[in-house]
Amino acid sequence: MATKKKNMRNTLDTQSIFELSKPGRRAARLPACDVPESSIDKLLPSEMLADGPPALPELSEPAIVRHFINLSTLNMSVDTHFYPLGSCTMKYNPKRNERAAAMPGLADLHPYQSEDTLQGMLQILFELQETLQEISGLAACSLQPAAGAHGELTALLVAAAYFGDLGERRTKVLVPDNAHGTNPASAAMAGFDSITVKTTADGFVDLDDLDAKLDDQVAVFMITNPSTLGLFEPNMRAVADKVHAGGGLIYLDGANMNAILGISRPGDFGADMQHYNPHKTFSGPHGGGGPGAGPICVTEKLAPYLPVPVVVRERSEVGGERPGNTNAVSESSASFRYRLDFDQPKTIGRVRAFFGNVGVLLRAYAYIRTHGPDGLRRISENAVLNANYLLSRVTHILPVPQGNRCMHEFVASASTLKRDKDIAAMDIAKRLLDFGYHAPTVYFPLTVPEAIMIEPTETESKETLDAFTEVLFRITEEDADLLHDAPHTTAISRPDEVRAARQPVLTYRAE
Amino acid sequence: MPYLYNTPEDQQAMLEAIGAESIDELFDPIPTELQLDRPLDLPPAMSEMELDRHLNTLAAKNRHAGQVVCFLGGGCYDHFVPAVVDAVASRSEFYTSYTPYQAEASQGNLQVMFEYQSMIARLTSMDVSNASLYDGASAAAEAVLMAITATRRHGKIVVAGSVHPEYRSTIATYLENLDTELVTIDAPAGVIDPDQLAAAIDDTTAAVVLQQPNFFGCIEDAHRVAQIAKEAGTLLITAFDPISLGILTRPGDYGTNIAVAEGHTLGTPMSYGGPFLGIMACDQSLVRRMPGRIAGRTVDRRGNPCYVLTMQTREQHIRREKATSNVCTNQGLFALRATIYLSQLGPQGLRETANLCLQKSRYAAQQLCANERFSLAFDAPTFKEFVVRDAENQVDRLLKSAEAEGFLAGIPLGQWYPELSDCFLVAVTEKRTKQEIDALVQSLANSSSQVPAQV
Repeated sequence: MATKKKNMRNTLDTQSIFELSKPGRRAARLPACDVPESSIDKLLPSEMLADGPPALPELSEPAIVRHFINLSTLNMSVDTHFYPLGSCTMKYNPKRNERAAAMPGLADLHPYQSEDTLQGMLQILFELQETLQEISGLAACSLQPAAGAHGELTALLVAAAYFGDLGERRTKVLVPDNAHGTNPASAAMAGFDSITVKTTADGFVDLDDLDAKLDDQVAVFMITNPSTLGLFEPNMRAVADKVHAGGGLIYLDGANMNAILGISRPGDFGADMQHYNPHKTFSGPHGGGGPGAGPICVTEKLAPYLPVPVVVRERSEVGGERPGNTNAVSESSASFRYRLDFDQPKTIGRVRAFFGNVGVLLRAYAYIRTHGPDGLRRISENAVLNANYLLSRVTHILPVPQGNRCMHEFVASASTLKRDKDIAAMDIAKRLLDFGYHAPTVYFPLTVPEAIMIEPTETESKETLDAFTEVLFRITEEDADLLHDAPHTTAISRPDEVRAARQPVLTYRAE
Repeated sequence: MPYLYNTPEDQQAMLEAIGAESIDELFDPIPTELQLDRPLDLPPAMSEMELDRHLNTLAAKNRHAGQVVCFLGGGCYDHFVPAVVDAVASRSEFYTSYTPYQAEASQGNLQVMFEYQSMIARLTSMDVSNASLYDGASAAAEAVLMAITATRRHGKIVVAGSVHPEYRSTIATYLENLDTELVTIDAPAGVIDPDQLAAAIDDTTAAVVLQQPNFFGCIEDAHRVAQIAKEAGTLLITAFDPISLGILTRPGDYGTNIAVAEGHTLGTPMSYGGPFLGIMACDQSLVRRMPGRIAGRTVDRRGNPCYVLTMQTREQHIRREKATSNVCTNQGLFALRATIYLSQLGPQGLRETANLCLQKSRYAAQQLCANERFSLAFDAPTFKEFVVRDAENQVDRLLKSAEAEGFLAGIPLGQWYPELSDCFLVAVTEKRTKQEIDALVQSLANSSSQVPAQV
């Protein structure tokens, strides 16, 4: 049993904010109106005026701060805990990136300012487009999508437009059975039928099943490589060749790019399109569920269909800034002009308003610039080293069905424990919380029974991984009943999810 | 520099435990011919200090809202962000956590999601809210897809031409492969003609999409539109301005079925247009068709009240291709910021903010149009934005000259509405002072005296 921490939390302040409200309290003070004022009902038609303002809670500022800060202490986070949540790449979020993204000259910009007033921002975004293309080995980039799943949808719409332009009506998207759920959902949203391709017992694409399902109706094969099992697809080239031979496209789900930066490029292993999750790979803070971003890169032939706008660079027409100066240094940014290019007749259009999730992209830019090509490679090397080391230790405690090597993550199984001791993956996940570890991803991928998906990332130490392994071992030796009731040290334990779904309470009601 | 802990000795010990000779060996599963045989062609690493200098240099090439006075709107506004929002939201436990898959380790985030949903429901007079989507435009597109499945009407969507052009473009993209027609009702008077709308609706119409106040800042006859939609058995999707609801009728009160909004105005800076906050709230009857995360209140095994992600059978990780949407995150950080912001303002603060926007924008419109060169393009009442027509049809020159004097004076409308190429859109938030407004008016007047009138 873990030692119980003394609870110093002020429970009053984790009450609902609506219970803390009292009429007449207030926090914000607004300035007096400094222009001649008319009564509102003279300015607006009375039928469009509300009877009164909405029933928001009324609090003082100190009460607001205490409420939310106390709530924050009920969360685990990367800054406070080891967070080996597989597939989510919960690595350290460098503080310097936060400062960079908060610079007023980068944060306080309006999307409809003129390009003349945005040259620095557009340069950053242009360079990021180029950088993502180089890392992926693909020819063109759109920074517009707002999240990885949004990137998937965007790329599939690009594919549909491409085939439409060729005069082909392809209706199918193939998705392996161990793919993220977003893949088939994105395919459905883009108007395709999603067809599942089996994977083998080793966790690789079943080439026979692929052959059986490939036909001239297949538009795209969506593959996650390295896969959700943390394995590089050994038949990647063969898979790509088969799909390409039928005229189809390969989409790479880039969730696992953290394993292959500077080591292998999707464009070089056959991908025609990919998305990035910059909040994962390039370390944007996850913000309790977002924001992320989902930029996509595509091959040359798909570039005309990308969303608009993209940033383009042109030789500046403005001469005379430094007349007569011909040395190479003056060739730098001063002689370029950046602009937003909307003139793409074949574009799919937009998938959101404005340019993209620029704040997330700025952090990615800062991250990439401070790492350089060698640093990016070292990220992947150490992510893979950490994962393999943890695998080498965990495999003595929980079987890892897919073998003794992995890329950036691996999937262990609690199925033996479940059978022998009635200890499920969820029990282990919950019990880890008692020891101060965020749980790994459990019950995903669906192809592994009692799956426990562990991704340590490169920013954890050997000591952390050792301590985690010891706790994991200790847990598997514990009494099943203790685990069924875990966690024991958190503010709450084992919420009734069935009740939540069957009798939904989704907004506050006074009790 | 990578943020690595492990020393060369650690790495060696780890390799020994793994049974590998080198780190390179760990990449053996990648066929050699698929490995990159050169370093990435990227600039070398910068130190933190060099990064600071580099970005400061680039940032200095931009002109930001602290240097120029921003009268730009069009879905992104220079509203005030109270300090308490930054202070609380930057707390590491909010900032560096993730989607609350483990409720016991995420009660803070889950309770915030629940309080966010509760506040959005009250703000809009809608039954339920999700925990947020990407942005206003994609929320509008998701609402359209939701309406199609809920009504089982696949024929068409009718959208007001006064809805933000980028929202309409996003909806069109989402519908591209779905065989549903997008019909646009023009708004030559700045607002749509409800009768024209009624004529466009048929029994295959899944939804009507309205924006209130609309892209031009004008107030639509939302009651009438809602009545038309209801009579036709079609759903009403309203894109609203959260700040306006300090004084305007709430979407649920005039019969909106799905309310969506760009929520960055609730405590998130302009950030060149993103990341932002997509708000979505709907009727109770539609909740199981709603996309995105939803938090619910329940009890734990000890009977304590607590919060969980709920109704996950709608979601992609359970339903895969049959999910309501592919969305698998919310904009947690901005939902948090909105929750703090709305708590900080409270009902009176929101009302006062809305009133300041209204009063100041009306004053600005009046002062601008005192110059005979300028007039309001539309007669319909406005909230915080208005369309100005330039009698000399020199919008680009005018805005350029204002920019040189330190004003982002407005958005030229010709890019979306060729018939309004002599018009620009001006937004005035609570942050603008009388002095700034007067200076803008003066600047535009100077510009008009410098530019010779076109014959």
